[in-house]
Amino acid sequence: MTAIDMVKITVNLVVIYVIGGLVMAFVYSKTSPILYKKIQEEKEAALKVMMPEADEIKEVGEWRPHEKHASYYVARKCSEIKIRTVKDEKGNEKQIKECIGPEDIGYIVECFGKGYSSYIHILTSVDKNFVVKKISILGHGETPGLGDEIEKDYFLRQFEGKSVENLVVVKGETQDKIQAITGATISSRAVTEDGVRKGVEMLISRFSKEVKKG
Amino acid sequence: MIKPKSNREIFLNGIFGENTIFRMAISLCPAIAVTNALKNGVALGVSVVFVQTMVNLTVSAIRKFIHPKIRIPIFMLIIAGYVTIIDMVMATYARAVYKEIGLYIQIIVAFASIFARAEVFASKNRVVPAFMDGLGMGIGFLFAMIVISFFRELLGKGELWGFSIAGGKPLLIMILPAGGFLTVGILMAFFNWIDIRFFGGKGASGAA
Repeated sequence: MTAIDMVKITVNLVVIYVIGGLVMAFVYSKTSPILYKKIQEEKEAALKVMMPEADEIKEVGEWRPHEKHASYYVARKCSEIKIRTVKDEKGNEKQIKECIGPEDIGYIVECFGKGYSSYIHILTSVDKNFVVKKISILGHGETPGLGDEIEKDYFLRQFEGKSVENLVVVKGETQDKIQAITGATISSRAVTEDGVRKGVEMLISRFSKEVKKG
Repeated sequence: MIKPKSNREIFLNGIFGENTIFRMAISLCPAIAVTNALKNGVALGVSVVFVQTMVNLTVSAIRKFIHPKIRIPIFMLIIAGYVTIIDMVMATYARAVYKEIGLYIQIIVAFASIFARAEVFASKNRVVPAFMDGLGMGIGFLFAMIVISFFRELLGKGELWGFSIAGGKPLLIMILPAGGFLTVGILMAFFNWIDIRFFGGKGASGAA
């Protein structure tokens, strides 16, 4: 290899990688703020769907299922909502909703269940007596065609109205428990027993104690 | 071996003569991993058409500038760059689609077929033939994905594009990896038979 070759190779690599890096950085700088905002909006919308009757959903803490960060929320209903107009430091007028006479009507918890090939990310809402109202799957990487049936309505609807002791997967027909998806028992178990049940148990241990203390 | 071909021949070569899956038997990993539903197969196929065409165009346009000794890392950057950009743009502006196929976009980086075309064809040819080759190869791949996933979803789930057709799951094994190998093998044999019987070719052994 001659000296000219070495210079050529160096220039080649530097030029192409710098151009490539700049293009990617440019696209990233344009997309990432929008993406962040959209994800935030989607999260809010998802919480709203979990508990449509709540006027206010507030994050109250974090727990660590499978070493992951997961939040839990309290849903409140207000006896009255006042809208105040406030001015911030810059003098812009902003409307702030004020909740008067809040009453806790339930909880929402983010849970993770260890599935067949991924961690399944779930949102569960329960009422004041810790009976499941609704669950939804936020993300997963289960086998397409088998494990991904956990996203289907017929599976998710089984959870409505189940209390913690009935969150058990059964193979075959069942009325009061959760029926496993054919060919995806591990994924069904992950959602039901590792994900939702642990989330609800956490909520019970967390919030029942508070009631006793108070 | 190298004789000048018309752009049309180059385009058709990618679809039939050197079809990535059925003739060259490369990039079989995604062909089996993703094709258990028609929708997934089509989504990955379309993404590959785009990446393959753009990579071929870029490699061909800068082929004289690339030093032969370091062509591999440069191809890698071009492929990874396009995939990353598509990934970021889709994640932001097409979130509904991205949720379905986001997982598969990223694995395009490791596609043997895209790399192979950059190396074998685009780095030695002008921009227009390279573009036609990329388009042909990409559409050939898309075609293979559609055929494979059509049979697998229909037989394995009794559905097509998510709509129930057979009502039940006739052959569950078809959506498992084993069914993928079976489908690809049988289809490969079928296309070889067509080639030998009707076109006087030598099957897959005559390609390349």
